[in-house]
Order: sequence, then structure tokens, then C-alpha cells
Amino acid sequence: MRRAPRTLTVIGGSALTLSLLAGCAAAAPTSEEPVAGGTLIYATGDAEPSCLDPHVGGNYPQALLATQYIESLVSKNADGDILPWLAESWKESDDGLSWEFTLRDDVSFTDGTPLTADAVAANIAHLKDPQTASSTGYLAVGKIESMTSVDEHTLRIDLSAPDSALLDSFSMPWVGIQSPTALERGQDVNCESPVGTGPFIVEEWTRQQGVRLVRNEDYNSWPGDAAHEGPAWLEAIDWRFIPDAATRYAALQSGEVDVIDNPQPNSLAAATEDGPITAIAAPRPGASNRIELNAGKAPFDDERVREAFIRAAEVNDGIEGLFFGTVARSYSVLSSVEAESLSTPEYFDVDLDAANALLDAAGWTQRDADGYRVKDGQRLVLEFPVSTNQSVPAEQSLFEQIQATTKQAGFQVILEPLDLSSWYGALAAHEYNLVSAPYTKVGPDVLRILYHSDSTVPAPSGYFANLAQLKDPKLDALLTQASETTDATLRAELYEEAQDIVLSGYHVLPLYDQQNHYLHGEDVEGMRALPTVSTPTFFDAWLAR
Amino acid sequence: MLRWVAAKVAGGAFVLWAIATLIFFGLRLIPGDPAQALLGGPGSQASEEALALVRREHGLDLPLAEQYLLAMGRLATGDLGTSYSLRQDVLTLIGEQFWGTLLLTVLSLATAWAIALLLATWATRGSRSGRAVASGLEVVASAVPHFWLASMLILLFSSLLGLLPPVSVEGPSGLVLPVLTLALPLAGFLAQVMRESLADALESPFVLSARARGESETGVRWRHAIRHASLPAISLSGWAFGSLISGAVVVETVFARPGLGRSLLNAVTARDIPMVTGIALVSALAFVLVTIATDAIDRVADPRLRRA
Repeated sequence: MRRAPRTLTVIGGSALTLSLLAGCAAAAPTSEEPVAGGTLIYATGDAEPSCLDPHVGGNYPQALLATQYIESLVSKNADGDILPWLAESWKESDDGLSWEFTLRDDVSFTDGTPLTADAVAANIAHLKDPQTASSTGYLAVGKIESMTSVDEHTLRIDLSAPDSALLDSFSMPWVGIQSPTALERGQDVNCESPVGTGPFIVEEWTRQQGVRLVRNEDYNSWPGDAAHEGPAWLEAIDWRFIPDAATRYAALQSGEVDVIDNPQPNSLAAATEDGPITAIAAPRPGASNRIELNAGKAPFDDERVREAFIRAAEVNDGIEGLFFGTVARSYSVLSSVEAESLSTPEYFDVDLDAANALLDAAGWTQRDADGYRVKDGQRLVLEFPVSTNQSVPAEQSLFEQIQATTKQAGFQVILEPLDLSSWYGALAAHEYNLVSAPYTKVGPDVLRILYHSDSTVPAPSGYFANLAQLKDPKLDALLTQASETTDATLRAELYEEAQDIVLSGYHVLPLYDQQNHYLHGEDVEGMRALPTVSTPTFFDAWLAR
Repeated sequence: MLRWVAAKVAGGAFVLWAIATLIFFGLRLIPGDPAQALLGGPGSQASEEALALVRREHGLDLPLAEQYLLAMGRLATGDLGTSYSLRQDVLTLIGEQFWGTLLLTVLSLATAWAIALLLATWATRGSRSGRAVASGLEVVASAVPHFWLASMLILLFSSLLGLLPPVSVEGPSGLVLPVLTLALPLAGFLAQVMRESLADALESPFVLSARARGESETGVRWRHAIRHASLPAISLSGWAFGSLISGAVVVETVFARPGLGRSLLNAVTARDIPMVTGIALVSALAFVLVTIATDAIDRVADPRLRRA
């Protein structure tokens, strides 16, 4: 057993002051002096959001955009430490049920409304209001019971149970703080032009083309790990929607756009090898990309069959061949950016003989004419619904390689490519044995969402996050205790023990980190991904042209 | 004439009703809850209260028959409803995107016609080898799928030659590649049809008598034979327009052009029922109008039809 080689740096619960900022590393220095002005063109392959307010719904495309104009109470630096942002300090009560956040007293939203305790309370109330139809943010503030403004810039938050993930939750763009005056305009207007405190302001949204963002000239709330002070260098950002990956890359090559996201692995490999294009890799927090084995029904209700599948599945060759060295194999359920991530390569040795022996022992002793194993007249079939919206082509090919290698042990994996709605439908109906479902959330508390037995109970929409169907009282107790403990060391131990239960029970086949990749042209400087959920930030970016 | 128009309009109205009905029930057969589509897409973890609220607001808790009658009643008055995912009036949204797609399809149709006429006259005039080359080009062009052609054109004209932008930009240069992508396969198809009827026409007695009157070869072709040869192609243009609208889904996505095709793709993925219904109806209406128009042009070009 091996801990992911990272330093453990959790500051949950302890009060932070601005003095900490002095010690934080700035972004990589560039040789030239930054130049102010110019318009940067960003081309995204993520879906066009239906609403620019990240409270409504709450998906990744919204987070990408919202990072430019909405800011959060806290941030994180590259080491995973929580940084003050709109909140300059905070205090947790001894029982963990009550928090006091002190806000900066010199910040205003871009519509002139001052940032106050009442403003933050209005935002949390907005997230909890069913009319808002928030999903991600709603879950993140689930334990908040009431809010009281102690004074103009101090907010007291009372919880229904201690929440060691509260600061992680507050760092996410989906819980970003917006102008309460703007929220009162109603959802239709606020979706078009949300108002935050960020370095840019939403000027115009032209559907299917893009969003025009202009510089906030009065900006003063940069996070502690920013490289400069004052307003952003860029005058404006043209945020364009270019859904086709090949077109996006061609547009970058021809200089039509400055930055693109979601490049295909082959363009990424080509870009990093030669030429003027630079790649930025930013692993997403939360869970790794992994295949869940549904232990809730046969044949994976038998641990021997689960282990046999993992012993037979050859992953490393596929990752090397299909991703051109752009991602690294993961042996953890958590992203490598999570300090608590437990990496256990020893559970994932490929060994076909062992797989065959395990299947024999589990009673799958016969083989039919096609070479698949049979027991009591039933073939060893594994249904694997694949979301074509969420799995990139390289990942779908990786699944095909797993299908081919596990066939040697006698598994028949049936890959079913589905659109997003049908895919969720198949999961809600429990029509799956294997599934790969990304999940982005800041902090190790994602383990509770993914593997606590409470998460096998479907949400009103029919979705449940515990797709491995893990129902282990010991694991439940560990995850609940970890989410409520304020002791960082104890919390890390609890999460390590919890991950070991998931991994050693062969419930998950980890593949690789969920990665964001950005490519930019040679004249873009100072761009970086915000360490919270790896969305790009252009506050420090400038154009050398 | 009046009876002819009335029959065409009644037929068109029936087609629109049938399409609206098919879409209404078809979209409800696909898995996925429309209430979820309203709350940030499939798999949303919205609360029960939020789901109940939007079901009530949009009448999704009513019996299906009642929902159908309500929807048809609204459509009959021209109310296409509000988009689930974009939260705006469907008619306004379609109005914003319609002209881009219309420009693309009309230019593509015109370009396809021009290329087809050139190919067809070349194929019937030229030597045997020239004919073989022309008909080979026709077959290849008509068989090429849009997404492949689009990628190849981007690779050639944007990445390698750097002549044209790979994405839609202001001005005509952004239209060249999308129009070529749509026009080339259609041109191949139209040219095949035209070449056959042109060859037939050139062998018919009226061409022989025109030649006997001393008409030049060009005059024979452009004054007499083309009129005959273009009849099947005119009739096919109605169908071609429909195929261009479906081709626009691919082309607008690949070239990142705003338009109805791309809206349709997004709306289908998001289970946005009002938007899908609206776009399908507008496309169907355009198709019906173009078909009526081509029928009318047919009657002008071919006097025999007017007597029927």
C-alpha cells in the first residue's frame, strides 16, 4: 500500500489570516514585462451553458465561464491549501456546528452593490430555493441550516451536522457569490448577465457563437496566489463555442483563436512535441476516471468474479497507446490532486491465470463455443453502458481493449454507446454491471457521495451516485465520521481506511486522472488553471503581440 | 390554378400536423424526464420540490392526451412555447438562427446547381475519357459524407494552405468551406441526373430539327436541351433542399456556425421538446414551401404540366 506522494496539507477548521498570503507562490514568472490590452479568443468544446449563472443546475461548462466573472468565498493554491478570497478569515465552533466568516470590507460587485454578510446569505438562500433548480451547489450547501449576519461583514452559518468539507464546497464555482441586487432581477435576466466580483464582466451572450467578456476596471479581489495586482491585463475575452475538436485545433493552428480546451489526445501529443503551441495540464479534483463494478447484482455480487475481472483487464497498454502519453495510469479512486488520495497498484496486477482460477472457484467452470464462461446455462455477460457525451473517443477505445482482454478469461463485455439521457436511464434502471461516470467535486468528501450506502438511494431524478452499489456499514461509519471530524490527521486516516475498503474489495478499476488540457498559442502568457476545479483563469494572462 | 394551390396548401398543412404529432409522441418514447431537461439536463440531482414545481408549471403532470391537445392548440395559434434549456421564446430563438441556415442552404443549392450544370455539359460534350472522368467525379462527390468532406476541406484549405478560416467568421470567407461541404455531394448527385436527361434530350428529334435550322452547338444546348434536362433536377431540388437542412446539422457543428441545424442537435441532446418541435416544424414548413415552388417552376418550364 502506498500513499500518493504528496505532502499532507489540510488546514480545515483553523482560522486563516491574510498574513498567510505573503508565503504563497505566485504563478510562473515570464521573462517579459506583461502588456496591458487586447482581446483574447477562447474556444471551448464544452457544451454551451443554458444559463450563465452557475447556481442554476451547476455543470462544468458553467464553471468554465463563471470563473471569469464570479468569485468564491475561499480558493485553493497549487498545494491544495485553502486560501482566503472574498472571505478574509473564518472560525469554526468547537462542536463544528457553527462557522463565522469575516468578509473583505472593500469589495463591490460589478453593478456597484457592496459585498456584505447579507449578500452572501442571499446567495446561499438562492442555492437552497427550489425555484433556482440548483443541483451541484444545492448539494454542497446541504448541511447549512440557518444564516445570521453578525455585523455588516461577518456571517454566522449554523449547520445541521459538522461538515469538514464546507470550505472545499465554498471554493467551488457553483457556490460562487453573486450580486444580490442582480439575483433579484429574476432567473431569466440573471441567466443572461450574472453579476459577480470577478476580473471580467459579462457584456453580451450571442447564442451558439459566444460570450463577450470585458475587463472589470475596478477589480480588487484577486486571490492570494495571483501574479499581479490591479485590473486584468486583457481588455476583453471572446469566449466562443466550437464543438468540433478538429476544427478547434485547426482554428488554434491558424491563429483564429488563442486558447482551446478539450483537445484530442493526438493533437495534444502533436502540440507538445513541436511548434509554437503550449499545453497546460490540470487534473480535476475529486474522483479519478474509473470503472465501477456493480456489486448490487450478479455476477459482481461475488467478490471472486470482481477480482477476476480486474486481474483480466489490461489497462496500461491501452492508456499508453490511445492517449499518446498525455495521461498517467491511476491506482486510486481519488484524483492525484487530493492530498488524501490512496494509490494501491498492488491490487491491480494483471494475471490471466489468477483470473481463470478465480472464475473456476466461483463456479464459472464451463465455456461455450464462443469461449465465454457459462454457469447454470447462463453466459458470463457484463453490460457496460457508455455515455458518448462524457467519454472521449480514446476512452471508448480503451473500453474496447478491456472488452478484448477480459474475453480471454471468458467475460462477455457488452459495450452500449448511449446518449446522455438514455445512459442515465440505464443506470436508474440498474441495467449495468460496469460503468464509468466522472464526478467532479473539490475535496475527499466526494468519497462519501460515491460510496456511502445513502447514495444508493436514488435522487428524485432517479440518479444515484453510488454506482458500485457499495453497502458496507463499516465504510459508511468511516465516511460519516471523516465528514464530521475537524482533526485533519484523523480525517486523513479515516479516508485512507475507507479507500482501502473500496479498492481491496475490487469494487473499482481506476483508469487515469480526470484531466483538463488547455492549448494556447505562442503569444499567450500568464494563463493558468485555478487549482479549485481546474477551470482556466485569465486574470494574469496577457498577449505578447 | 386556384384548385391546384388549395390542394398544395391543404397537403402542406397535413404534413405539418403529422410531423408535430410524430415529434410529440416520439420524444416522449425516448428515456429521460422532460422535467429534468428543465432543471439543468439529464442526471440532474434537483430536489423533489424543484421537479414538482416545473412539472406543474409546464403541465407535465397532466394526462398525455390532454398535453397533446393543449400542445396542438398552442401550435395552431402559432405559439411554439418556451425552450426548456434556453429559457427563451422558441419563435424568437428560431428567428435568430433561421437566416444563417437559410443563407447557407440557398447558397449551397445555387453552388450545387452551377457545378452540376458545368459537370453535365462537360460530360455530354467531351471525349469518351472526359465523360469517364466527369461521371467518376459525380459518383465520388455524391458518395462523400459531409463530416469527412468538412474535415478534409479544413485540413487542406486551413491547416495546410492557410487560405480560409476553419470556423465561421464575419464576411464571405467564412462561408466558402461550409457551402462547398454542402454543395459538392449535392452537385455530384444533380449532375448525374442532369447528364442522363441531357444526353436523352440531345438525341431527341427537336434537337435534330434545331440543328437542321443551323443552330450552333451552344445554342442547341443552352436554348433547347438544358430546359429539358433540368426538369428532373428542378423536381429534385425540393428534396435537395430538405437534405441540405439535415446536412446543416453536421456542417454548422463542424464549422461552429450558428444556425438551426446546430440548435436542433443541442435541443435533441437536451431533450428540449418545444425547441425540437419548433425547429422541425419550421424546417418542414420551408420544405413544403420549396416543394410547392419547385412544382410551380416545373409547370412554367414544362407547358405539358399546365394542361393536366
